[in-house]
Amino acid sequence: MSCDKTCEQHNGRRTFCRACIGAMTAASAAMVAYPVASFVTSQPSRIGEGKPLEIPLDQLVQGQARYEAYRGLQVIILATADGPHVFSASCPHLGCAVNWVSSDAQFHCPCHGAVFGSDGGVVSGPVNEPLKPIPFEVKDGKIIISV
Amino acid sequence: MRIVKTIFGWFDRRYNLTPLIEKNVTKKRVPKTLGWAACFGGLSLLIFLVQVFTGVLLLMYYKPDPANAWDSVTFIKSNVSMGWLVQRIHTVSANLMIVMVLMHMARIAYYKVYRSPRELHWVSGVVLLMLTLILAFTGYLLPWTQLSYWGAKVGTEIPSAIPVIGEDIVRWVRRGEAISGETLGFFFALHIWIIPATISAFMAMHFAMIRRTGISRPL
Repeated sequence: MSCDKTCEQHNGRRTFCRACIGAMTAASAAMVAYPVASFVTSQPSRIGEGKPLEIPLDQLVQGQARYEAYRGLQVIILATADGPHVFSASCPHLGCAVNWVSSDAQFHCPCHGAVFGSDGGVVSGPVNEPLKPIPFEVKDGKIIISV
Repeated sequence: MRIVKTIFGWFDRRYNLTPLIEKNVTKKRVPKTLGWAACFGGLSLLIFLVQVFTGVLLLMYYKPDPANAWDSVTFIKSNVSMGWLVQRIHTVSANLMIVMVLMHMARIAYYKVYRSPRELHWVSGVVLLMLTLILAFTGYLLPWTQLSYWGAKVGTEIPSAIPVIGEDIVRWVRRGEAISGETLGFFFALHIWIIPATISAFMAMHFAMIRRTGISRPL
């Protein structure tokens, strides 16, 4: 079939539109593929690396609990007569954050009334596990949590 | 483009796909009077597929037990690359899916499409609505936040209004007296397998019935 000038123009337009649609399709596919690929290849072992939490010992008040955020966890640093304790603030029952009640020297969970002693052990309530202790070390007058 | 044609041609020569595609997609005839409101059913399906896809992605990092559920969702949102996006698409689309299903039903009701011979389309559609709501409700508990905990508590209390067997139903749904790790595990199983499988079966029926009777033509 012979192709006159109009036909050539028409073909040029068609090619251009096809290229545009192709480019848009490719761009859309990339917009889906990139997040999915990066989500799937995210390496859990590398996650959680970060700066250790350092609290100078002289900032702690005996009998008081200090709440700190550490790698997505809320941790409690409790200064007692026999040294500092570090716990996860999450109640082992259903995960609510426990409150330190200094007048009773106990942790109270606001959700279902679990009570923990200053060593994290269960005193009463609907729970049979103690508060999760967080390992730490004391160095140069600082508490360092790096696990 | 040429490579796509070559690959498609290879399959087409063996399985004769072109007539199938023309009949069902490219040359399928639909009533001329259909407007944009006819899209809501298809959009519901599209969002369901998005939910399946993002849900499978979330499963790679989610941990369904009370000690880890909240932490793992926080982990997805803040530590996994693009996790915030996947998690949010899954949450927002859950709401959108319900909106689309309701809009679809509103159109069907308004145009009286549910009349003979399409009564069972409507019945299977109502089942699909229920399943969609259960899917949303069970998914709501999984992040194990205060909102989801109390949401599940209030939601599972509803059957207690049923006389005689109400309390037993509540206990059965909660897998015990209160919302606990058992409830979480049960809701997880419902949310990722049981309800999606059931909803897929009902969708297949729903679509097969529509294919059989054809799309309703406005009078």
